[in-house]
Amino acid sequence: MMFSMFVLWFLVFVGIFMRRTWVPTLAIAAMVWTLVLLVLHMSDPIPLNF
Amino acid sequence: MNIINNAERVFVSRETQAARIINVLALFALIGVLAGSLHLQLGVGEQPCPLCLIQRSAMIGLAIGPVMNLLWGMKPAHYALSILAAMVGGAGSTRQILLHIADPNDPGYGPAVLGYHLYTWAFITFAVAIVGCAFMLLWNKPFEAQDTGLRFQRSWFRIAALTGIIWVFLDLLVIGISVLPECGLGMCPDDPENITGAGDVGGWLVVLSIGLLAFAIAVAIVSDRKVLKPRTQST
Repeated sequence: MMFSMFVLWFLVFVGIFMRRTWVPTLAIAAMVWTLVLLVLHMSDPIPLNF
Repeated sequence: MNIINNAERVFVSRETQAARIINVLALFALIGVLAGSLHLQLGVGEQPCPLCLIQRSAMIGLAIGPVMNLLWGMKPAHYALSILAAMVGGAGSTRQILLHIADPNDPGYGPAVLGYHLYTWAFITFAVAIVGCAFMLLWNKPFEAQDTGLRFQRSWFRIAALTGIIWVFLDLLVIGISVLPECGLGMCPDDPENITGAGDVGGWLVVLSIGLLAFAIAVAIVSDRKVLKPRTQST
């Protein structure tokens, strides 16, 4: 799962080197996927009364 | 060397050149942060936690803005991508900071560098990046110059910029590939076991060798006449 995040960034870099117009879209998708993985790893609740 | 010295000179406005220098400096600052984390992983043997990998991913995303500015030309949209990546990374680092300060007896994850843990430094980096991008967006002149990037220029500055860009790309490859033995294709363990690293000096040598490889590739690209055909005259 975590590996896929870096595969997306790899594709973004390849797109930049090749000057592809889909780069910003894929970059945003990579960020959203990073956020999804962050939420999936939020297994412990953080008490807000510390 | 003559190929580089005899390069066709494309006129670039002073503002665009200043913006390029700032972007290259930002890129090398990011490389410094990534180098620190890679040294900790490959040298000390401290495996990155899932939240650490999230922040590394956002660091790579943060680099996208300067890389696109340098290769494609200055555009507000490129800074916007960096701001979005910094927000994602900020969320990850905030989560990790809160996790460790919630318990007063928690010593934090990993060693501290200059008094702060790496996730705190990551949060500072993301915050500074957002402020930096905002200031760059306030500066209209580089955008008005219709910059097409330094892809078709030959100069020592171009070598420096390409070295930074390729260095980030190589860091991405190293980080991505090193995830596989730690996590496989599934979710990463919350508290991964440490591995035997290359040692303190060995770790820095690995980081430095990545930079030297990036420099060598940059010189090879700039020196290759087939790759470099002056395409357009920018303003």
